[in-house]
Amino acid sequence: MTVDVSTIYLLDVATGESVEAELRDAIEQPQLDDWQTKWQPALLAVLQELARKGVPMSQWPQSWHWNWAQKTARVQGLLAFRGFSVVAQGETQGLAQVDLTKASREPCQVGKPVVYLDYLEVAPWNRPEFGTAPRLRGVGSALVTAAVALSDEEGFKGRLGLHSLPQADAFYRRIGMTDLGQDPAYQNLRYFEMTAEQARAFLEQE
Amino acid sequence: MTAKRTMTLNLTDAEMRVLDELSVRKDITKTAVLRQALRLYQTIDARVEKGEKLLFENEATKEKAELMLL
Amino acid sequence: MKLERGKDWWMARARREGDAVIGAGLLAFDPALDERASGTQIAAIEETRIAFGKFVNLMRRRRGFSMEQLAQAADLDASELLVIEDDVHYVPEPRTVFKLAETFEVSHRRLMQLAGLAAANDAGFRQEAVRFAARSESIQKLTPEESSALEAFVAVLSEQEPKRVK
Repeated sequence: MTVDVSTIYLLDVATGESVEAELRDAIEQPQLDDWQTKWQPALLAVLQELARKGVPMSQWPQSWHWNWAQKTARVQGLLAFRGFSVVAQGETQGLAQVDLTKASREPCQVGKPVVYLDYLEVAPWNRPEFGTAPRLRGVGSALVTAAVALSDEEGFKGRLGLHSLPQADAFYRRIGMTDLGQDPAYQNLRYFEMTAEQARAFLEQE
Repeated sequence: MTAKRTMTLNLTDAEMRVLDELSVRKDITKTAVLRQALRLYQTIDARVEKGEKLLFENEATKEKAELMLL
Repeated sequence: MKLERGKDWWMARARREGDAVIGAGLLAFDPALDERASGTQIAAIEETRIAFGKFVNLMRRRRGFSMEQLAQAADLDASELLVIEDDVHYVPEPRTVFKLAETFEVSHRRLMQLAGLAAANDAGFRQEAVRFAARSESIQKLTPEESSALEAFVAVLSEQEPKRVK
């Protein structure tokens, strides 16, 4: 499979400058290696620090145990699953995987196909919730944008569904997604959906 | 965009009608319907190959029916 | 899929993101405490074990061996070679690592350390291993980059460890 690479730009938080980055429409071995050899140790360091400071577990970052290697291996070769990665400064900055087999739940588009954002994770050093300044800003937005754009390209008109991490609810509301409430089948995570109209507004926003 | 190839598809009237209906009801193009069908078929087939069963459950009665894929 | 948008468009998005937390997907909420305690050690071992798997894979391919041929040459089980190359969680048998070191003509101790069966007392070695793993990809044919990465790493594996300071 050939990988399409789009040039995107991120914000270097320390300098306020732009950073050129690659948005790749696949997750490949170097990304899995980065996850294992860079993300994992960085995340463990933060978690140990949080534990030392006695931060209650409910406030811990929520994606610490995700295992990309297993997830991508399981869906390898299946047309229904597609991956995205953001690479900048020689490192993987964010990863996402989507599932194209799901149907919409939002009343005005119920039953129509959506791109379901199965997983989205940003590299630990870019995550603002840890208390230290994140390195690059815009990684999460770029991955959501990629998922909506894929939905558009696949003829799903930008329709997007996802189960949000609790701390991320506010972001999905802000970009205009509809909050369909807690989903008991997904550990009470809130399910959000972007309708075709919302997607158009999201992609056209300058 | 990933390069795509074109092929001619021969469908009966009945099949064409279903394709039209699905295209309208799902709000996607006919090509998108067929590509979606291919994705779903491959996904289900991969799981059946691993020894899993495809079951439909009636939410009201909890009755289960197995769909056989050969 | 290609996205054709200008720099200003992306930068506006990045600025608008602010300090928003973004993440999605089903996950478990209650990480167990004891798992975390050993997490760092496990991560460190798996880090070098990625390099171990890749090293075996590249050395085998450099010799033009199939897994079965290598298994025969080193008097090993082909199925074990398969998991060594593919699964970082797999803990290889000491005998296997010993046989592989012999076949590839590298230091036994070093290869044991790489496989996570012995502790390395120099941090530089782990860094070399991670660098090596990051530079090589598991594709069919050895690229010139992979060959040179492999050559350099063979040199590291053949070196003696620095003497422990008493």
